[in-house]
Amino acid sequence: MEKYQKIEKLGEGTYGIVYKAQNRDTGEVVALKRIRLDNEEEGVPCTAIREISLLKELKHPNIVGLFDVLHTEKKLTLVFEFMDSDLKKFVDAYGGDLDALTVKHLLYQLLCGIAYCHRSRVLHRDLKPQNLLINKRGDLKLGDFGLARAFGIPVRSYSHEVVTLWYRAPDVLMGSRKYDASIDIWSVGCIFAEMATGRPLFAGTSIDDQLLHVFKIMGTPFDPLAAHAPPPPPPSAEPSPAERDYARRAWPGCEQLPDWPHAAPVYASVPLEPLLPKLSAQGIDLLQRLLAYAPENRISAEHALAHPYFDELRALNSRAAPPAV
Amino acid sequence: MSRLSLRNPLLTPEQIAQSPSQLQGITRDLEANLRAYGCHLIEATGIILQVPQVVMASAQILFQRFYYLASFQDFPLRGTVLGALFLACKVEENPQTIRNIINVYDIVVKRDRGFPEIVTDGYDAEYYDMKNEMVISELQILRKLGFNVQVELPYGLLANYLQSLELTDHPTIPQLSWNYLNDLLRTPVYVCFQPETITCGVIYLAAYKSGVRLPESPPWWIIFDVNGDDVVQVAKATESLYLRQWPKIMPLDSSELSMHLGGTLESHVDSERKRRWPESSATGIKIKNTIEIPIQNKAGPL
Repeated sequence: MEKYQKIEKLGEGTYGIVYKAQNRDTGEVVALKRIRLDNEEEGVPCTAIREISLLKELKHPNIVGLFDVLHTEKKLTLVFEFMDSDLKKFVDAYGGDLDALTVKHLLYQLLCGIAYCHRSRVLHRDLKPQNLLINKRGDLKLGDFGLARAFGIPVRSYSHEVVTLWYRAPDVLMGSRKYDASIDIWSVGCIFAEMATGRPLFAGTSIDDQLLHVFKIMGTPFDPLAAHAPPPPPPSAEPSPAERDYARRAWPGCEQLPDWPHAAPVYASVPLEPLLPKLSAQGIDLLQRLLAYAPENRISAEHALAHPYFDELRALNSRAAPPAV
Repeated sequence: MSRLSLRNPLLTPEQIAQSPSQLQGITRDLEANLRAYGCHLIEATGIILQVPQVVMASAQILFQRFYYLASFQDFPLRGTVLGALFLACKVEENPQTIRNIINVYDIVVKRDRGFPEIVTDGYDAEYYDMKNEMVISELQILRKLGFNVQVELPYGLLANYLQSLELTDHPTIPQLSWNYLNDLLRTPVYVCFQPETITCGVIYLAAYKSGVRLPESPPWWIIFDVNGDDVVQVAKATESLYLRQWPKIMPLDSSELSMHLGGTLESHVDSERKRRWPESSATGIKIKNTIEIPIQNKAGPL
């Protein structure tokens, strides 16, 4: 245990205290997460088991590195790569006013990390600004896998209480237990909007209130296959506002979800551009795809990375690349 | 691209040939019985606790993996059964209290030994011993397995494969294959083969038992990208499972293990019953001394 010299306390994690520390031999600075094992009724905390078993296998530049796990009789210590800050503090430090290119850089890295998780068949399930770690070089890494889980190919029924309310997908809010990778994508959409405005997009106080916040902006969804569904608007050459509203709110099967809010007021969707003045037309388009109501229509992380919104980064990269000899 | 993570770790041939228990002098046969009995305890306890099948299956696989890294002498059966079940409940998001697991486990053992099925009062020394063993064993399993506790199961694959083979509505094959998957958990098959191979192996045997011929040239399993020899091996392991007797009274802790090795465990259990519950032996109930594995197959030509 004396391999690491504690420098300072960084905070309280999901379970136990997190310290900044230095490896006495190499001088490397790390974060130590202490897990006490004296809870006689619980054994090793569930969140710690999941976090260690998954992070041990996930190695990627946009996922926080778990270097080591130290055991003693009374505690487990996880040795993590040290990160200076998290996205929440980072956005606050700029007074909520990140420049558009920084937002793009951060979102790209977030999507790279998530795409890697999903390729490895791991759902994070608790994406929020506090869990996205940032270092001085501007690298963004996914952290806190305490709620993550591996998923098999056929979707099973998972636990219900996942994802902090503000970033929770509407299908999960309505009691769906068959969620998949799309649950993380909704959270990415919420975080994208929050980076662009400095404020959470949907800041509800309860499950019902959270759904109302979503409906007021995205419109109240309806099941286009239900008997009482509104008729689709007539198609036109240039998509009319009515067509756009219909496309955004139509969600096949939504009324079959266990906690479908029957009594919710019906709102039309509102245009996103005025809410997010910092985003380009491409940015708005990507945001809408991330926040698609029907989980099967939500863009995958892999496809999102190929979206034209990121063309600017690709252009910058190719210019920065050394000239071919 | 990096190796796709989170696949089941498989044993090396050396590990299969020489398990830690055998290195410490336990015979191959006794080890097979201990493994099968431990898995029976996990399954029977899980059924009464009404946890989903994935929890019981994961616990059995963790139990099997553990005893390729540790011996039955150093880590007695009881603690590992309790620890593996406790751990699998957490990994598969179906947490159970320590008390529930211990109480049910205790009833299952009492039933197997012909003791009256009386729930422990939860305050006696034995309860605290078990609780202690369980918490310590959970950590031991995590350590020995290096926290590699994600388990990939074949049940979903079975549904998909049966569908591709158009066998979903067959009267016997789906149920038989499903039962084989469950029964195979008592064997080391899940630490020797990946789920795709195991799934093909049980379909192979179930189709054979049901008199259904599946395409042979090219063989049907190539579409699932598995090795034909491995498929046959899994099928053979499944068959042989039903050809032997699995004893019901097995050593649960170190002192019972030495009694078992000395041939005195059964008489010890018998005198224990007479001493603690003198009235129960008076009824003269004859206890069956082997575990039944649900499907009984006659020997096939594999």
